[in-house]
Amino acid sequence: MNKNITPPITQRIGQIFLLLLLAFFILIPFLLGFWTSLLPTADISKGALWSSHISLSNYYTAITQTPIIRYLFNSLVISFFTMAVQLLFCSMSAYAFVFIEFKGRDTLFYIFLATMMLPFEAEVIPNFVTVRNMGLLNHYAVMIIPFLTSAFGTFMLRQAFMQIPKELREASEIEGLSHWRFYAKVVLPYSRISLFTLAAYSFLASWNQYLWPMLTTFSDSFRPVQDGLRQLQSQETFNNWGMIQASAAIVVIPTLIVLFIGQHYFKSGLNEGAVK
Amino acid sequence: MDTQITNKNPQMRYKQRKEEKPLMATGLSYNKSKALRDRLYALIFLGPSLLVLIVFVFFPMFRTLYLSFFLTNNLGKPTVFIGFANYISLLSSSAYLHSLQATFIYVIAVSCLTLTLGLLLAQTASQKVRGISFFRTIFSGTMGVSVSVAAIFWLFIFNPSVGMLDQLANLLHLPAINWLTQPGWAMTAVVISTVWMNLGFTFLIFFGAIQSVPSTLYEAAQIEGVSKIYQFFHITLPMISPTLFFVSIITLIESFKSFGLIDLMTAGGPDNATNLLVYRIYQDAFLSGNYGLASTESVILALIIAFFTFIQFKVLEKRVNY
Amino acid sequence: MKKINSYNSRPLLFLFLICIVLLTTLTGCSSAKADSKIQITFWHEMTGPAQVQLEKFVNEFNKSQNKYTVVPQFEGNYNEAVQKILNTHGTSASPAVFQSMDISTSQIYNSGYTTPVQKFINADNYNVNKISAVARAFYSKNGQQLSMPFNTSQPVLYYNASLLKKYDITPPPVDPSYSDISRVAQQLYARSDKKVKGLSVEIYGWLFEQFLANSGESLANNDDGHSGTPTAVNFSGTTAMTTMKWIQENIKSGAFMNYGSGSNAPTNEMAGFLSGKLGMFLQSSADISQLTAGTEDKLGITYYPHPDGQKSNGVSIGGASLWISNDKSRKVQRGSWEFIKYLMRSQNQAAWQAATGYLALNKDSQKEAVLQKLYQKNPAARIPSQQLARTVPNNTNSGIFMQGLIQERTLTQTAMEQIYDGKNIKSSLQDAEKQMNSYVKSLNQANK
Repeated sequence: MNKNITPPITQRIGQIFLLLLLAFFILIPFLLGFWTSLLPTADISKGALWSSHISLSNYYTAITQTPIIRYLFNSLVISFFTMAVQLLFCSMSAYAFVFIEFKGRDTLFYIFLATMMLPFEAEVIPNFVTVRNMGLLNHYAVMIIPFLTSAFGTFMLRQAFMQIPKELREASEIEGLSHWRFYAKVVLPYSRISLFTLAAYSFLASWNQYLWPMLTTFSDSFRPVQDGLRQLQSQETFNNWGMIQASAAIVVIPTLIVLFIGQHYFKSGLNEGAVK
Repeated sequence: MDTQITNKNPQMRYKQRKEEKPLMATGLSYNKSKALRDRLYALIFLGPSLLVLIVFVFFPMFRTLYLSFFLTNNLGKPTVFIGFANYISLLSSSAYLHSLQATFIYVIAVSCLTLTLGLLLAQTASQKVRGISFFRTIFSGTMGVSVSVAAIFWLFIFNPSVGMLDQLANLLHLPAINWLTQPGWAMTAVVISTVWMNLGFTFLIFFGAIQSVPSTLYEAAQIEGVSKIYQFFHITLPMISPTLFFVSIITLIESFKSFGLIDLMTAGGPDNATNLLVYRIYQDAFLSGNYGLASTESVILALIIAFFTFIQFKVLEKRVNY
Repeated sequence: MKKINSYNSRPLLFLFLICIVLLTTLTGCSSAKADSKIQITFWHEMTGPAQVQLEKFVNEFNKSQNKYTVVPQFEGNYNEAVQKILNTHGTSASPAVFQSMDISTSQIYNSGYTTPVQKFINADNYNVNKISAVARAFYSKNGQQLSMPFNTSQPVLYYNASLLKKYDITPPPVDPSYSDISRVAQQLYARSDKKVKGLSVEIYGWLFEQFLANSGESLANNDDGHSGTPTAVNFSGTTAMTTMKWIQENIKSGAFMNYGSGSNAPTNEMAGFLSGKLGMFLQSSADISQLTAGTEDKLGITYYPHPDGQKSNGVSIGGASLWISNDKSRKVQRGSWEFIKYLMRSQNQAAWQAATGYLALNKDSQKEAVLQKLYQKNPAARIPSQQLARTVPNNTNSGIFMQGLIQERTLTQTAMEQIYDGKNIKSSLQDAEKQMNSYVKSLNQANK
């Protein structure tokens, strides 16, 4: 972009310095966490940041002595199903708002939008009673069913579906294509990027659930990883920092990898949803 | 008559839809059976989502409102109707007002810092320097960090006996700060942790937005000899204002709903300094079993969030530069 | 139209199909756990060595017979567990047998969700006289045993004897007054060149309750609820004022350390003590084993401190008891009782005290070799039992029978936080008291 004008050397050094400084502050909690996960707890509690016994033994302890792998598996199951069904339900309702004409559509859409104003956190009390009466407590289903759809997802996909050339619908109607086929054959493939974005978003949102699972799960067989870490931390009466940091690392490394791979979709999709 | 027109002339129908005017509403039903079929389709397509929203959003909304007018017994059942007494006792309780105040301070601090730092990161990462993609990856890194992981990382840093900051203070002969046991510092610690956790997401979105600003605008500015700072405020910011708007809403609302970091780091303490609204609801309902009062707190929280969402939608919508 | 056909959505549909199949199989798997034994879900709130020992008991019990399988599940801290128990009652998620803390007794009893253990005691002609009477009394009503006392502790003062010796400080007497403690704390702080803090009193409502108990002051009216449902509380009486003033002054001068409240506080406090940065602290006797295991320094223990110029009234017990839910079949309830009986055996109680520091409640336990050995090795380990033994039970040191005590703890803890941070003592306490009184009023109204 600025081929002709090279900024003066001092400015370049300033830029690099700023970059390094910012990177340092972002990285320091990671680095400390990972580093201490390699140290023996005895050395950490003395306040030492260096040890002659660097090893992966904290990881071994975390995997063998705690249900951390089970927690990860639970989270994976919960997040995966929430994501899959959310994609289906949100895309269906978004389709209805764009391609099906019916009385009161706009009103209904505004009602959908209005739910974005209602935080789930403010409704946990009756929702707890509902899932208890449905017999869902302490089960995967309790962490999936209330989140099968989302107003945000519907809104985002609606914006994406509106980008689909109307001529396509006209043509398909002349061809006698049913809503189902148009939805499955045209609309979904056309909005792949937005669907991927919503998938990533809903997967992460489900993965990060904290309050709801804490209230509705009571055993390690169903407890997701966020509450699992809380559990590990509260059981620890000795400051076993090495093991705790290792568990945190076990949890964060897979998500970091997934994120760096899926970064591109996430970014472009979210911007689309944001701007239009 | 109208039936024929619409059927034969797709262009016409298209126009009508564009105006967001449902055909039925005009009273000129073009084809009763098609309308009926479309309603059926609408029901099928919207049904699942509607059902979930009714059961888990609309019903609980009214139920919470209902519960907020009652005293609940030790089993959580509403027993005594007390009208607005819960609201009155909350709004006259210094502890609750303290929580409200703390929540606002937290939300404002977190939102401002997240937006400013997010912009700074995005702007810095937009430069053309060798190895910049490495920095971009780092900047977006905290997006993969969940609440409990972030809490563990930061708890270690703020730990009074083994923590980094304490050792650093020792080294520099500064008085050690009890980060999590002194009200002001505890809030600072929680804000820092939240902002850090938010930055990855914010950076990524801002960065994407800045990248999509047409480079011709900058080139023109360069020729005019306008300073970088001027360019940022007069080209970049206006061009990414829709994104700015989107991110500010998300950040604001998410901060109002903060719970995990509070639970893990301070448990609302010390002296309720970090007892934010959602944590208080949890405490009153799921620790003390005071469901009526907690419902009242929920209603207040919902009102606050609804208010801010609405204001932001309405006011900023007009200013945003599309 | 060509364009339409060029897209293929089959992969997406396929994905959904897989999801649905997986979901159904997974739910099927998790619910179909084939086990011919009767499963007994056991909820507890034990952490650290106590959790390890408890799980050991569970395994041994499961191996000792082939009728029942006890499944232990950790449910977080005491406060969290109470509402979980009440909220899950009658669902498949609820426990068959659960541990619930001392101050929740009245609430759990009033819920009507449990079968009193007295029923099984009668059916089995179980000899309860073997179990400590003080502990039993805490969990009974009208001569009926509601739950079985299990992990029972005494609040005590721990000091690092080696550290005191190093700085040539006379240790506190076995029944110390506040000023005895201040003396040691201030000397320690001064002689260590401000490197070692003297004392920490965790911001924990339980300790606040014990200060009042030890000077014979009621926290709630109607004799701490022993002669009727309390209608008002007392947070700002003489004892509370004196005690808080004592702590606040010493925190201000630097001799006392504030580790805050919440689950991180006791962990940090213990870490501070074990690493020699803290000389004394007030805590449950349940910490003894961790303290002896965690440091080579000699551990000293004294009774809970009392205000100057008066004799100590004695403290009440802390800890929790075991309850049997009445929403499970008779067989399951029977199995729960068998498990409780197993835990109360004299050798198990002795092992429990040796492993944790909770007091062995079975009177025969004192003769067990494992406890004899413990006392020989560490005579201070006897102090908690001695403190319990010399206490003459009265209305102010036998616990508070009142619902809503979790709120009481939250409020007193907030007041303590304010006071530790230097705020006005009287107004902090009175503010908490006012809030609790209005809470009690609505609570009594709602539960009429």
